[in-house]
Amino acid sequence: MKALKLSTRLLNLFTALACFAVAGIATAYFFINEKFEWIPQTVLELAREPDLLKRPDAKRCSDCHQAIYDSWKASRHAISWTSKTFIEASENRTKEKCLACHIPESVTGEKPSPRLDRRDEGIYCVSCHFRDNKMNGPYDLVAPAHPTFRNPEFVRSEFCGSCHQKTFKEWKNTGIDDTCQDCHMPRIKSRLTQKFPFSLLHKKKWVGNHKFLHGDLTEKNILMEAEFRNNYFTLRLLNKTVPHAVPTADNGDPRLYLYITFFNAAGEQVDQAKEILAPQQETALAFNKAVNFRYRLFDPVDHANVILKYQPAWSKEKQTIWEKLIRP
Amino acid sequence: MKFFRILSCFIIFTFAVVLPTHAKDMVVKEPPKSLSQFYPPESKEPKWIQQMHKLSTHFGGVFINLKEKDFANVDKHADQLLEEYKKTSKMVPEWKDYFDIKAAEAFTQAAKTHDIAKAGKASGGLGKTCGKCHAEQEVSVWAQFHWPRFHKIKVTDPITEKEMGFDDYMSTISSSFKGVTVNFGEGQYGRSAKALKIFKSRFMEMKSTCSKCHTTDDVKLFYVGKIAESAFDNLAKELNAEKPNPGQFWKNVGLLGKTGCKHCHLTHRTASFIQETWEKE
Repeated sequence: MKALKLSTRLLNLFTALACFAVAGIATAYFFINEKFEWIPQTVLELAREPDLLKRPDAKRCSDCHQAIYDSWKASRHAISWTSKTFIEASENRTKEKCLACHIPESVTGEKPSPRLDRRDEGIYCVSCHFRDNKMNGPYDLVAPAHPTFRNPEFVRSEFCGSCHQKTFKEWKNTGIDDTCQDCHMPRIKSRLTQKFPFSLLHKKKWVGNHKFLHGDLTEKNILMEAEFRNNYFTLRLLNKTVPHAVPTADNGDPRLYLYITFFNAAGEQVDQAKEILAPQQETALAFNKAVNFRYRLFDPVDHANVILKYQPAWSKEKQTIWEKLIRP
Repeated sequence: MKFFRILSCFIIFTFAVVLPTHAKDMVVKEPPKSLSQFYPPESKEPKWIQQMHKLSTHFGGVFINLKEKDFANVDKHADQLLEEYKKTSKMVPEWKDYFDIKAAEAFTQAAKTHDIAKAGKASGGLGKTCGKCHAEQEVSVWAQFHWPRFHKIKVTDPITEKEMGFDDYMSTISSSFKGVTVNFGEGQYGRSAKALKIFKSRFMEMKSTCSKCHTTDDVKLFYVGKIAESAFDNLAKELNAEKPNPGQFWKNVGLLGKTGCKHCHLTHRTASFIQETWEKE
């Protein structure tokens, strides 16, 4: 009888504790997500982690923002200072013009200045998010560890245009509403932090992909029309869907290679041609603007094989976008 | 009259002392390693040249204000010149012997008398220290820190798609050019036309190559611009004509040479020769 009473009491105690815990979490959840302005500043100050306002390394940010860190770590931004291509192209990082955007101190919508510290981190969390002693981002929210500031620049193309100036101008000329972030930082509903218990206390939000996706080109993006007429072969390329030039770069040298090979009825190659479409040669494909190529045929041609390949700025490998057989 | 005295002092100082008085047997040595801390990437900005500008500004500030009888600013520039001169003397330890602090102090004192003749006379001692360093080091510093390293530039040949060094690419482009001109000279117009396609492709590749350093379109187009493009079009038209006109052909070849090749070679080759010599050592 006594044992039963004790166990009932213990059960009641646990139930009460559980109710308090749930109520506590619910209250915290309510305040953090709905009424965070009610939380006294002095309370928040107690929870601050001062080193976060001293330009910490990216790994430190990953203590809370693991998922964002992981995607950034896999991005080109993370290796903007350490990539082999950059080191070669910048003559072992001695070219002054490269430094500002490969190791930006603070990205603010204008061309940044280069920084002297943590250069191996490239374009990292602090470069974009740390300004005026606060962590800037697209949301108005409370984070106990550091002050936050909702900065509308973070969802605008102008922000990316700080460094990607040429691409930004190309995009602006298209009049398309989709921003850089819409395509290159697609959002999924998830939590900004993965650190317990904060992961439970924050509502899910639309979080952009910090891998800064580089879209894969297909025949839906680059359309082709071709025809044989009067000893000439004409070919027309159209960048139908990408609202900037393809390829695009301010200083890098990405390229599209267009290979055309002509064959006679016996299947023997009779001629060939090649076009290089590259931003640095002002031959990249502008958005929705057809480009025509015309080749004179000196020998009888049965068919042409046309291949379009893409070579990113950071690689010497070419990827085939499409291959087509054209007959008269 | 006084104005001419001031002017002549300034001119004498500038041309006889500050501007490098290179000897005919000038030796261009690599600058000391310690200087690299004042240039990117070790430094955010080219601090050494900025320091030179500071010295030059304060020196000029003394004479400009003496002329304008703004003696408060004469004193200010004289003090700042001395301060910056002392600072500069400690920046590159290997060059400390170029500096003469006593001469700088003497100039500051002379400037503070507000007597243009005394200032002009004292400037000679100071200016000699600047001039000696400029004569012996300025070309090296510019070749080392202000010009890109051409030999490190890699170019992907658009024909073979193989990456090659800049010098080899220059030889390749030169051979392609000869394929056009030699065949034309021999009356082999078909071969010349084929060679022109290859040469054009390699020549236009230079736009990408130039863009490795030149970020503004204006500069790129200075080397490979509209004149060059139109010369290529005219050459192709000529070679596809029933009877090509040699006058027109060579005129357009000349245009290519004068714009693309000559613009670049005149601007870059001297520095490139110096760097090449250092790299071979």
